[in-house]
Amino acid sequence: MKKRFNPIKDKSSEIIEYLMSSPDIPDDDELQFKLRLSIEEAVENVVRYAYDGGIGWLEADIHFDQNALLLTIELRDAGTPFNPLEKGDPDVSQGAEEREVGGLGIFLCKKMMDSIKYRYEDGNNVLTMTKKVNS
Amino acid sequence: MDIKITKEDNKTFVAIDGRIDTTTVNQFQEAANELMGDEHPDIDIDCTALSYTSSQGLRTFLMLQKSVMKHGGKMVLRNMNPQVKEVFDITGFSNIITIV
Repeated sequence: MKKRFNPIKDKSSEIIEYLMSSPDIPDDDELQFKLRLSIEEAVENVVRYAYDGGIGWLEADIHFDQNALLLTIELRDAGTPFNPLEKGDPDVSQGAEEREVGGLGIFLCKKMMDSIKYRYEDGNNVLTMTKKVNS
Repeated sequence: MDIKITKEDNKTFVAIDGRIDTTTVNQFQEAANELMGDEHPDIDIDCTALSYTSSQGLRTFLMLQKSVMKHGGKMVLRNMNPQVKEVFDITGFSNIITIV
Protein backbone atom coordinates (compact mmCIF):
# COMPACT_ATOMS: atom_id res chain seq x y z
CA MET A 1 0.00 0.00 0.00
CA LYS A 2 1.12 3.48 -0.80
CA LYS A 3 0.13 6.97 0.30
CA ARG A 4 1.40 10.47 -0.32
CA PHE A 5 1.43 12.84 2.64
CA ASN A 6 1.47 16.56 1.88
CA PRO A 7 2.55 18.69 3.66
CA ILE A 8 4.52 16.58 6.12
CA LYS A 9 5.22 19.14 8.83
CA ASP A 10 4.25 17.58 12.20
CA LYS A 11 2.99 14.45 10.39
CA SER A 12 5.69 11.97 11.52
CA SER A 13 3.36 10.09 13.80
CA GLU A 14 0.60 9.84 11.17
CA ILE A 15 3.06 8.49 8.57
CA ILE A 16 4.58 5.98 11.00
CA GLU A 17 1.14 4.70 12.07
CA TYR A 18 0.05 4.43 8.42
CA LEU A 19 2.97 2.10 7.66
CA MET A 20 2.66 0.15 10.92
CA SER A 21 -1.07 -0.42 10.27
CA SER A 22 -0.33 -2.27 7.03
CA PRO A 23 -1.56 -5.88 6.89
CA ASP A 24 1.96 -6.68 5.64
CA ILE A 25 3.42 -5.95 9.07
CA PRO A 26 3.96 -9.36 10.70
CA ASP A 27 2.23 -10.26 13.95
CA ASP A 28 5.49 -10.54 15.85
CA ASP A 29 6.36 -8.14 18.67
CA GLU A 30 10.11 -8.38 18.20
CA LEU A 31 9.91 -7.73 14.48
CA GLN A 32 7.38 -4.94 14.97
CA PHE A 33 9.77 -3.22 17.37
CA LYS A 34 12.57 -3.29 14.77
CA LEU A 35 10.28 -2.14 11.96
CA ARG A 36 8.73 0.66 14.01
CA LEU A 37 12.16 1.93 15.02
CA SER A 38 13.49 1.87 11.46
CA ILE A 39 10.35 3.52 10.09
CA GLU A 40 10.39 6.21 12.76
CA GLU A 41 14.06 7.07 12.22
CA ALA A 42 13.72 7.15 8.41
CA VAL A 43 10.48 9.16 8.43
CA GLU A 44 11.83 11.64 10.96
CA ASN A 45 14.86 12.20 8.76
CA VAL A 46 12.63 13.33 5.90
CA VAL A 47 10.15 15.30 8.00
CA ARG A 48 12.88 17.19 9.82
CA TYR A 49 15.48 17.76 7.14
CA ALA A 50 14.23 17.20 3.58
CA TYR A 51 12.30 20.45 3.19
CA ASP A 52 12.66 23.91 4.64
CA GLY A 53 9.98 24.09 7.33
CA GLY A 54 8.51 20.71 6.41
CA ILE A 55 6.58 22.13 3.45
CA GLY A 56 6.68 19.30 0.95
CA TRP A 57 5.50 15.74 0.41
CA LEU A 58 6.55 12.25 1.38
CA GLU A 59 5.31 9.09 -0.28
CA ALA A 60 5.28 6.04 1.97
CA ASP A 61 5.09 2.61 0.39
CA ILE A 62 5.06 -0.80 2.04
CA HIS A 63 4.73 -4.16 0.34
CA PHE A 64 5.43 -7.81 1.00
CA ASP A 65 6.84 -10.24 -1.55
CA GLN A 66 5.28 -13.59 -0.63
CA ASN A 67 7.74 -15.63 -2.67
CA ALA A 68 10.86 -14.01 -1.31
CA LEU A 69 9.24 -13.42 2.12
CA LEU A 70 10.64 -9.94 1.89
CA LEU A 71 9.03 -6.87 3.41
CA THR A 72 9.98 -3.63 1.64
CA ILE A 73 9.43 -0.11 2.92
CA GLU A 74 10.12 2.76 0.57
CA LEU A 75 10.11 6.47 1.33
CA ARG A 76 10.20 9.03 -1.45
CA ASP A 77 10.45 12.82 -1.21
CA ALA A 78 11.28 15.75 -3.46
CA GLY A 79 13.39 17.59 -0.91
CA THR A 80 17.05 18.56 -0.96
CA PRO A 81 19.08 15.72 -2.49
CA PHE A 82 20.58 13.88 0.46
CA ASN A 83 22.05 10.42 0.80
CA PRO A 84 21.82 9.54 4.51
CA LEU A 85 23.99 6.45 3.95
CA GLU A 86 27.01 8.55 3.03
CA LYS A 87 27.40 9.75 6.57
CA GLY A 88 29.78 7.54 8.53
CA ASP A 89 28.55 5.44 11.43
CA PRO A 90 28.86 6.99 14.89
CA ASP A 91 31.77 5.83 17.06
CA VAL A 92 29.88 3.64 19.52
CA SER A 93 32.95 3.10 21.67
CA GLN A 94 33.17 6.71 22.84
CA GLY A 95 32.50 7.67 26.44
CA ALA A 96 29.64 9.91 27.54
CA GLU A 97 31.76 13.05 27.52
CA GLU A 98 32.90 12.72 23.89
CA ARG A 99 29.67 11.27 22.61
CA GLU A 100 27.64 13.55 20.35
CA VAL A 101 23.90 13.71 20.82
CA GLY A 102 22.51 12.70 17.48
CA GLY A 103 23.54 10.90 14.30
CA LEU A 104 22.10 7.61 15.51
CA GLY A 105 18.89 7.39 13.48
CA ILE A 106 20.09 5.94 10.18
CA PHE A 107 22.66 3.83 12.05
CA LEU A 108 19.77 2.15 13.91
CA CYS A 109 17.93 1.56 10.61
CA LYS A 110 21.01 -0.18 9.24
CA LYS A 111 21.22 -2.41 12.30
CA MET A 112 17.51 -3.24 12.51
CA MET A 113 16.82 -3.89 8.82
CA ASP A 114 18.48 -6.42 6.48
CA SER A 115 19.23 -3.87 3.80
CA ILE A 116 18.94 -0.13 3.30
CA LYS A 117 19.55 1.60 -0.01
CA TYR A 118 19.36 5.14 -1.31
CA ARG A 119 18.91 6.42 -4.84
CA TYR A 120 18.19 9.79 -6.41
CA GLU A 121 15.59 9.33 -9.14
CA ASP A 122 13.54 11.81 -11.19
CA GLY A 123 14.35 14.59 -8.73
CA ASN A 124 13.36 12.46 -5.72
CA ASN A 125 15.22 11.00 -2.78
CA VAL A 126 14.26 7.33 -2.50
CA LEU A 127 15.16 5.29 0.57
CA THR A 128 14.41 1.55 0.41
CA MET A 129 14.62 -0.72 3.43
CA THR A 130 13.99 -4.46 3.42
CA LYS A 131 13.50 -7.12 6.07
CA LYS A 132 13.19 -10.85 5.63
CA VAL A 133 10.07 -12.17 7.35
CA ASN A 134 9.99 -15.88 8.11
CA SER A 135 6.34 -16.59 8.62
CA MET B 1 3.55 7.69 28.01
CA ASP B 2 3.53 8.32 31.72
CA ILE B 3 6.49 9.51 33.82
CA LYS B 4 6.41 9.36 37.60
CA ILE B 5 9.04 11.24 39.59
CA THR B 6 9.56 10.66 43.32
CA LYS B 7 12.21 12.35 45.43
CA GLU B 8 13.79 10.81 48.52
CA ASP B 9 16.73 12.37 50.37
CA ASN B 10 19.55 12.47 47.82
CA LYS B 11 17.93 10.34 45.19
CA THR B 12 15.33 10.86 42.52
CA PHE B 13 13.26 7.85 41.42
CA VAL B 14 11.76 7.90 37.95
CA ALA B 15 9.38 5.37 36.41
CA ILE B 16 8.67 5.50 32.69
CA ASP B 17 5.58 3.77 31.32
CA GLY B 18 5.05 3.55 27.56
CA ARG B 19 6.94 4.52 24.43
CA ILE B 20 9.50 7.28 23.98
CA ASP B 21 8.93 8.18 20.33
CA THR B 22 8.35 11.17 18.11
CA THR B 23 5.05 12.02 19.85
CA THR B 24 6.25 11.64 23.45
CA VAL B 25 9.89 12.69 23.33
CA ASN B 26 9.12 16.32 24.23
CA GLN B 27 7.34 15.15 27.37
CA PHE B 28 10.39 13.04 28.29
CA GLN B 29 12.72 15.93 27.51
CA GLU B 30 10.72 18.26 29.78
CA ALA B 31 10.90 15.75 32.64
CA ALA B 32 14.65 15.39 32.02
CA ASN B 33 15.12 19.17 32.06
CA GLU B 34 13.48 19.25 35.46
CA LEU B 35 15.84 16.53 36.74
CA MET B 36 18.90 18.28 35.29
CA GLY B 37 18.19 21.37 37.34
CA ASP B 38 17.84 19.29 40.49
CA GLU B 39 20.12 19.53 43.52
CA HIS B 40 19.83 15.78 44.19
CA PRO B 41 22.05 14.33 41.49
CA ASP B 42 21.46 10.58 41.90
CA ILE B 43 18.79 9.29 39.53
CA ASP B 44 17.26 5.82 39.56
CA ILE B 45 15.09 5.06 36.53
CA ASP B 46 12.71 2.11 36.46
CA CYS B 47 12.37 0.96 32.84
CA THR B 48 10.13 -2.05 33.50
CA ALA B 49 7.25 -0.50 31.56
CA LEU B 50 9.38 1.34 28.97
CA SER B 51 8.35 -0.51 25.83
CA TYR B 52 10.25 1.41 23.16
CA THR B 53 12.71 4.22 22.56
CA SER B 54 13.85 5.88 19.35
CA SER B 55 17.14 7.72 18.89
CA GLN B 56 15.46 10.87 20.18
CA GLY B 57 14.92 9.14 23.51
CA LEU B 58 18.56 8.00 23.56
CA ARG B 59 19.60 11.59 23.00
CA THR B 60 17.75 12.67 26.14
CA PHE B 61 19.17 9.78 28.18
CA LEU B 62 22.67 10.88 27.11
CA MET B 63 22.00 14.49 28.11
CA LEU B 64 20.77 13.28 31.50
CA GLN B 65 23.87 11.13 31.94
CA LYS B 66 26.17 14.04 31.11
CA SER B 67 24.33 16.29 33.54
CA VAL B 68 24.46 13.70 36.33
CA MET B 69 28.22 13.20 35.81
CA LYS B 70 28.79 16.95 35.88
CA HIS B 71 27.05 17.17 39.25
CA GLY B 72 28.98 14.21 40.69
CA GLY B 73 25.95 11.95 40.85
CA LYS B 74 25.07 8.50 39.56
CA MET B 75 22.33 7.39 37.20
CA VAL B 76 21.01 3.84 36.99
CA LEU B 77 18.48 2.36 34.57
CA ARG B 78 16.69 -0.72 35.87
CA ASN B 79 14.72 -3.67 34.45
CA MET B 80 14.99 -2.72 30.82
CA ASN B 81 13.16 -5.07 28.43
CA PRO B 82 15.45 -7.00 26.04
CA GLN B 83 14.49 -5.03 22.94
CA VAL B 84 15.05 -1.64 24.50
CA LYS B 85 18.31 -3.02 25.92
CA GLU B 86 19.34 -4.05 22.40
CA VAL B 87 18.96 -0.43 21.24
CA PHE B 88 21.24 0.68 24.08
CA ASP B 89 23.73 -2.12 23.23
CA ILE B 90 23.87 -1.48 19.47
CA THR B 91 24.50 2.23 19.94
CA GLY B 92 27.14 1.70 22.62
CA PHE B 93 24.95 3.47 25.18
CA SER B 94 25.21 0.44 27.49
CA ASN B 95 28.88 1.35 27.97
CA ILE B 96 28.08 4.95 28.83
CA ILE B 97 25.00 4.46 31.00
CA THR B 98 24.71 2.05 33.92
CA ILE B 99 22.02 -0.54 33.22
CA VAL B 100 21.19 -3.13 35.87
